[in-house]
Amino acid sequence: MSVLAPTLRNETAKLRRLHVVPTVLALGAGLVLLTLFTVATSGQDSPTWALPLAGFSFAAPLVCPLLVAVVASRVVDVEHQGNGWLLGQALGRTPGSLCRAKLVTTGTLVTGAVIGAAGAVVVLGTLLGVTGPMPFGAWVGTTTCAVAVSLVLLALHVLLSAVIDNQLVCLGVGVVGTVLAVFSSGLPGWVAHATPWGYYGLGAAADYVDGKLTMLTPSYPSVAVLSVVAAVLFAAVTARFDRQEA
Amino acid sequence: MDVLSAELTKLKGSLAWTVVVLLPLVMVGAGIFTTVVSGEQLQDGWDTLWMRSVVFYGLLPYPLAVGVLAALVWRPEHRGGNWNALMTLPVPPARIVAAKTAVVALLCTAMQAVMLLAVVATGTALGLDGMLPGRYVVALAVVALASLPLAALQSALAMLMRSFAGPVAVALVAAAVSIVLLAAGIAPAVWVLPHVLAARATQLGTGTFLDAGQVDVASVAPLLGATVLLAVLVLTASAQVLGRRDVHV
Repeated sequence: MSVLAPTLRNETAKLRRLHVVPTVLALGAGLVLLTLFTVATSGQDSPTWALPLAGFSFAAPLVCPLLVAVVASRVVDVEHQGNGWLLGQALGRTPGSLCRAKLVTTGTLVTGAVIGAAGAVVVLGTLLGVTGPMPFGAWVGTTTCAVAVSLVLLALHVLLSAVIDNQLVCLGVGVVGTVLAVFSSGLPGWVAHATPWGYYGLGAAADYVDGKLTMLTPSYPSVAVLSVVAAVLFAAVTARFDRQEA
Repeated sequence: MDVLSAELTKLKGSLAWTVVVLLPLVMVGAGIFTTVVSGEQLQDGWDTLWMRSVVFYGLLPYPLAVGVLAALVWRPEHRGGNWNALMTLPVPPARIVAAKTAVVALLCTAMQAVMLLAVVATGTALGLDGMLPGRYVVALAVVALASLPLAALQSALAMLMRSFAGPVAVALVAAAVSIVLLAAGIAPAVWVLPHVLAARATQLGTGTFLDAGQVDVASVAPLLGATVLLAVLVLTASAQVLGRRDVHV
């Protein structure tokens, strides 16, 4: 009998007890507030859509890396604390399947938060007086890139938290990753490609170039390759977990 | 054994020292790396090196690190039956709270020392003229003191939350709020939120985020005043809360 549906139901139920939803809501709220803050403090009387796009590209590497690490740590640490890996295996839920289920449930929330935040910025930006035709393609593109990179990091942190009992490592990687994400945005492309956190900068649709606000084209091929590689590695590692005893 | 001595003993071999040493080194390294890769020079020598190393460090990574350190200090109490053992100790809650806060504050002070050594070593290796201006040494001393309320608050959060990640998430949100408040020029916020106080202290002497670029009595006195007020408030409240807590059944 398939254990997929009961596993997903169980993991979804755990989200509520672990207060993951407030954390994800904080992620979305942080994205919106920091983006709109850059618009409000720009000093421009009639800001164009390049400004909130640049603000979103500034907020994503600041907010997403650590909160994604926190979410992953919360949902995985409970298994270490309560011997959940062994209990799950006794119920036919291998450690690998638990990790996959955790990624699906938390990934759904993170995806919703990032998309919701982008939508909220568009609505609130209009109310704040952002002028000009709304670049729908740029918003969809940069939001998709932010979602993809966030899911890659979520997968990484789920695996890290599962392998290492002490959550200091997972969160420490999240803190260092935040630093890398913020610093990578202003550096040459090869630096941004060096770590997963740098891909937030590669997905930016607007930024300040030589002091001037400029629309950019996100590096879709780079983000796509990162996503595929991460998916393959996650599947391979969790398949290996399935063959290990809890 | 005295509570503080017990807490200090727990620090031996603790992973907390990894955070204390690694974070300042990462921040100084990142600042130098961006300088080298972008081809820019350190135009104002030690001042530019300080700005590139400390400004961002104080706004986001530092409060996060304090959150991680506090979570680490309280982690043993949330494992096994240690919380119940803590509840049955013949020690007033205020002493337990003060000891835990003192340990976190000590780690924060050590972090500032590592930051100072890292900046001096990097500047010397890069061949900068002279030495790090004394005002930045004073600034770091103020940061160590101004971190006391932050240490107390994060310690209280780690006491209340069994999760390791919870207090760190709160630290991130509070740090983001601090950045917004400082950027908006709301100076009185240092008297309300410890995260704003610590972030403001790290900007001393840099001329950024409300800072006039001077490290003098006029800039330092309000921060020290806010430190005393917030530390007393947070420690008192934490002791009251711990005194009303019960064993985990």
